[in-house]
Amino acid sequence: MNVKRLSKIFSILFGVSFFAVVIGDWVINSTPMALTLFFAFTFFAMIGLFVVEKGLVPYTFKRILGSLVTLFVIASATFFMLRLLPGGPFDKEKTLPPKIKAHIEAKYNLDKSIMWQYGDYMFGLMKGDLGESYKYLGRPVRKIIGECLPASFKLGFYALILSFLIGIPLGVLAAAKHNTWLDQVSMISAISGVALPNFVVAALLVYVFAMQLNWFPPALWSGPLYYVLPVVTLGVRPAAVLARLTRASVLEVISSDYIRTAKAKGLSGKRILFQHVLQNSLIPVLSIAGPLVAGVLAGSFIIEICFAVPGMGKHLVQSVTNRDYPLILALTLLYSTLLVFANLIVDLLYAYFDPRMKLS
Amino acid sequence: MKKEFSVLPLLAVLAVVLLILPSCKQNNAKLEYGLSLDQTLRVNLATEPPTLDWNKATDTTSAFIQENIMDGLIGYSFDEGKVGLKPALALEWSSTEENRIWTFKLRKDVKWSDGQPFEPYQVLDGWKRLLDPLTASEYAYFLYGIKNAKAFNEGTLEDFSKVGIKVEGHQIRVELEKPMSYFPYLLTHHSTYPVRVDVVNKFGDSWTEPGNLISLGAYNLKVWDHDKAVVLERNPSYYGEPAKTQNILAYMIEEPSTAINLFDSGRLDILLTLPAGELAALKKRPEYRESPILSLYYYGFNVNKAPTDNLLVRKAIAMAIDKKEITKMLNGGQQPLSGWLPVGLSDHSGEVGLPYDVKKAKELLAQAGFADKEIPKVEISFNSNEDHKRVAENVQAQLKTKLGINVELKNEEWKVYLGTLSTNPSPMYRMGWVADYPDPDNFLNLMTSESENNHTGWVNEKFDKLIKKAVSLSEKQARKDIYTQAQKILIEEDVAVVPLFSSVSHLFVNKRIKNFPVNVMSRFDLKDVVVQ
Repeated sequence: MNVKRLSKIFSILFGVSFFAVVIGDWVINSTPMALTLFFAFTFFAMIGLFVVEKGLVPYTFKRILGSLVTLFVIASATFFMLRLLPGGPFDKEKTLPPKIKAHIEAKYNLDKSIMWQYGDYMFGLMKGDLGESYKYLGRPVRKIIGECLPASFKLGFYALILSFLIGIPLGVLAAAKHNTWLDQVSMISAISGVALPNFVVAALLVYVFAMQLNWFPPALWSGPLYYVLPVVTLGVRPAAVLARLTRASVLEVISSDYIRTAKAKGLSGKRILFQHVLQNSLIPVLSIAGPLVAGVLAGSFIIEICFAVPGMGKHLVQSVTNRDYPLILALTLLYSTLLVFANLIVDLLYAYFDPRMKLS
Repeated sequence: MKKEFSVLPLLAVLAVVLLILPSCKQNNAKLEYGLSLDQTLRVNLATEPPTLDWNKATDTTSAFIQENIMDGLIGYSFDEGKVGLKPALALEWSSTEENRIWTFKLRKDVKWSDGQPFEPYQVLDGWKRLLDPLTASEYAYFLYGIKNAKAFNEGTLEDFSKVGIKVEGHQIRVELEKPMSYFPYLLTHHSTYPVRVDVVNKFGDSWTEPGNLISLGAYNLKVWDHDKAVVLERNPSYYGEPAKTQNILAYMIEEPSTAINLFDSGRLDILLTLPAGELAALKKRPEYRESPILSLYYYGFNVNKAPTDNLLVRKAIAMAIDKKEITKMLNGGQQPLSGWLPVGLSDHSGEVGLPYDVKKAKELLAQAGFADKEIPKVEISFNSNEDHKRVAENVQAQLKTKLGINVELKNEEWKVYLGTLSTNPSPMYRMGWVADYPDPDNFLNLMTSESENNHTGWVNEKFDKLIKKAVSLSEKQARKDIYTQAQKILIEEDVAVVPLFSSVSHLFVNKRIKNFPVNVMSRFDLKDVVVQ
């Protein structure tokens, strides 16, 4: 079997497992771990096969190596910057007797030299050990992330799907009906979507759909019905960004020569739009997908707080307030990894969709 | 004719979805985690408990859970609003040698949640673990009064048998370094609860997870869904009267307005805190409850920094601050304080403290040599927070208009602020204290020269001696007199601090909940709560 066919098979498997994950989550309110892993596996296999197929292996390899260096620099910089921050993790309102504070610092090796701590941290990192939280006593950071990340991911995942499902069609619609009331209405709503802060959207949605109409719960994270409001809130902004970008891009393509040719050939408007315009106009959209995916998957502190979603966002902010060094470091690394690899994947997809692109 | 886009089908689908959605609303009688509404009290904890290890916890969230799944040797009673003590694991207690030797007679009918009997040595195990330097417990100093306990905690003594705690039959005998009349209060605190060392050794740090955790209180820990909720279940083999409500479902909802939305939509029964900004409106609702808490909000003077190194300046400032104006502005039920002890503490005395007297304050400033020259700027520092800012701005305005003193405000992020306080505090700084136990010593001890919480730089030997002396006395009036004398030195004579007010806790209690405890110690013993 050649690589091309294999990559097709995996694309199909990816699609199927994607829907299985979503349906599983909505219908039985849980996704079996195996299914999630399979979903991730097909995704990476699809990308991997594509990389092989296009002869991008050396490029990808180089990029991954570069990413690792970036992450190392981020980890080191964060480590030392944290130590420069005034106030320590065990400074409390009720000041501790010096001996007791010394016991606590000894327990977490904070009494050792900073270089010793750095070496210890890096060594632990290589073994996949992220240390133990200073705030949540006895809870390894790995566990905290394991328990909170799924909620953030789920929220971000649905918000992302929602934003693509709304943003792209809306952009296309606005461009196709350029300068009509449809265009104006779509763009006004898109601009409002970009302009309105998250917490205002959250408050509005909660007031109307939870407190007045009583259709959805105002907060908590206990099943599909609870997902609706936070997902919509988080999805609004990316949807608006996508809509505006898609519209601009479609308008640009529509005015190009080959579209005029297609029109002159007598092709139907629908066919021109879907076959010729859309494919080409989505390439620029792809370029913002990387940061968008990383940003949205990371969840949002404000939305998670507004809707009491048991996710990672809260820890991202509070770990700094608490000077919970291991947790801050782990989260910084986690989000950096997400961003770095989302960008890599987007670059690879770029090469896939745009044959003119040369990655080297 | 070519149809291109039509929004109609889309709208139709949307309409159908919106019509169907309300009908699939969750059935309210069944709650999460398989709980039923009529047997569950739903309360908002606000945050994830940092730990359920009662030797190590230092916060009120953890305490909320711990106090319901465990009992100490002694418990609190709040009859008619007065704080008292009542037997818990100890049936009775007594002291000899002027409160230096204490004996506690323990119950014999208590069983842990795994069926094993409660034994006196488990109390010792708990205390040993609390004091062990390797446990690194913040509250180890709670037991420093016990003979040799401090040495054991500091690592200079390794033999725990030399620490003044002995099991004698079904009794525990405690020998203190020095007489201490309030020692029983310490045994109400979760850090001194008995511990099953076998369980701790078996599971290590995860001994506090459901399934591992063994307790003996009115409730057992059933679920700990981290960062989301804790579920407690009635302990059927509790030694006392069993809890009246089957389950407690405690959520961790950080944002107070989100919690109010959930309360209003019938998804929460109890809110333990309310947003300060909305109090005026919330106070009018029938669900509103409030209780003074044993707490103190004060401004400390750095007595080593100009201009507050001058006693006359300090006194003038203290006399020019109208505390009633501050509490009126805050409008949260706070009570102005003239003395150092909060309202609700039995030894609270309204007689202590400097009067509010602007005329006298001006005279004092003139005496200090500032009659015709301008007094240097005074810096007031506080940790960044809306309420602290409002208080500081109010004081700033008061001092400017009444004494013509220019006040500069400085706010710092919490941990930065704590660092500044211990190294280089401003001439005036904000601080607070909430009672660990309802005894004046817990408040007055703060300002002794040995206290790490005294950031003023003020030292007074006579004050130190009085505090030490009062600790040993058991005669109430004699103690009260000494504490009054000590407060006069602190606040009237040396003016190291200006007490401003004591706070109030604000709660929402759903009308289907009866007997919800509201008290000055913010202790939430839920076993008598009834859900209707």
